[in-house]
Amino acid sequence: MKGDILQGMAPNAKRSFAVSVAFAAVGAALYFLAVEPTESKLVVERRRLAGLEDRQRQINFDLKNADTVKEKLDGLEKSLSPYREAMLEPLLGSYSMRAKAKLEHLLLEAGLVNLDYAEEPFRALPLPKPVMPRQLHRRAAIRVTARGSYQAAVSFLLRLERELPLVSLQSMEITAEQNPARQAVAFVLEWPAKGGLTRK
Amino acid sequence: MNSSAFHLNLLKSSELLSSSPVRMRVMLPLFLLLGCAGMVVWWGVLFTQFMAVKARSDGISGDISAKDKSHAEIIERQAHARELSLQLEQLDYYRGGVRKVGEPLAALADVMPLKVQLTRLEIQPPPLQVLQPPGAKQPLPGPVENVETQKVVVVGKTTKETPVLALMESLEDEQFGRLVTRKREVKSFKQDDAPAKGGARLLAFEIEYTMPERRFAK
Repeated sequence: MKGDILQGMAPNAKRSFAVSVAFAAVGAALYFLAVEPTESKLVVERRRLAGLEDRQRQINFDLKNADTVKEKLDGLEKSLSPYREAMLEPLLGSYSMRAKAKLEHLLLEAGLVNLDYAEEPFRALPLPKPVMPRQLHRRAAIRVTARGSYQAAVSFLLRLERELPLVSLQSMEITAEQNPARQAVAFVLEWPAKGGLTRK
Repeated sequence: MNSSAFHLNLLKSSELLSSSPVRMRVMLPLFLLLGCAGMVVWWGVLFTQFMAVKARSDGISGDISAKDKSHAEIIERQAHARELSLQLEQLDYYRGGVRKVGEPLAALADVMPLKVQLTRLEIQPPPLQVLQPPGAKQPLPGPVENVETQKVVVVGKTTKETPVLALMESLEDEQFGRLVTRKREVKSFKQDDAPAKGGARLLAFEIEYTMPERRFAK
């Protein structure tokens, strides 16, 4: 059929047809091998450029605000410093030993004797929302038992509140004995302490 | 000689249908050639744009690489600041829940009626935290509630009821606000089993007060 059409054509028309087919092939080749790939690459490169520009803008913004971050860090460190000083850390692996080191002079000055220290179950602190810190903190509890008068027990609490303001009274029991100067006194005191990690 | 008399019709019947005076066999290759030229120009424009965009990208990339180290330090500082801020928030909750009752306990001695002898004064421990609610696969890292309620138990002996009433009235004073609320319950008020000195019969009482809430919040 095709052969019939070409055979019926004048030689000029045949040449024109052949040239047209050749140009069409060159045009298609140019589109598929040059234009289209270059256009795709351009789209990708523009997207990369947009990403890089965003990143550069962010970096410039962050660098410009480096001083603000430093000031914020200094402020946070300052705010955290009273907590760090108050934090109960184990002494030779024992929290009660550390509590003893911190409390003994206050208890003795208040007039309490027969002192004993023991760890109580630690309690968790509520979590900030919606993001948790990596380092959690908890309430370390130490039971202190002693003998002394009601006045001595109260005197100890007043000294404690003045000298260790971040130590809290969790529970307390004063039980009367025959000798009012040697009543049974028990306090459970709480400190802020480091807890577990939420992530590595 | 007049050539008009001699006429050869060289057009084919299909060519007669064309409205253009220029024949299709000339037009078609010409248009296709122009199309090819257009393709080359289009590619040229795209390639120039591509090179310009690439040059700009490479420039920015180089700039970013140069600032990378100092930026990484800032990012680290920002992350550290975020972490410290969260830690501070949790520790502020702790501070919010610090209970101080030294002053009201000191004042208690001043308002204690002469005819009342306390045998036990107890601030009861808070209820246990529920960190493993039913259905939870893992224990929670923190309590669901940020409030704890506790009770103060006052146990003592007296000769008659009026001194106890006076004590209860005194405890309603503002200075005891950090120790007790007005919510109280007389758990018992009865004849004491153990005889006192001189054979006198005393009355034993136990009053339970609700303490102000311990709120772990900023």
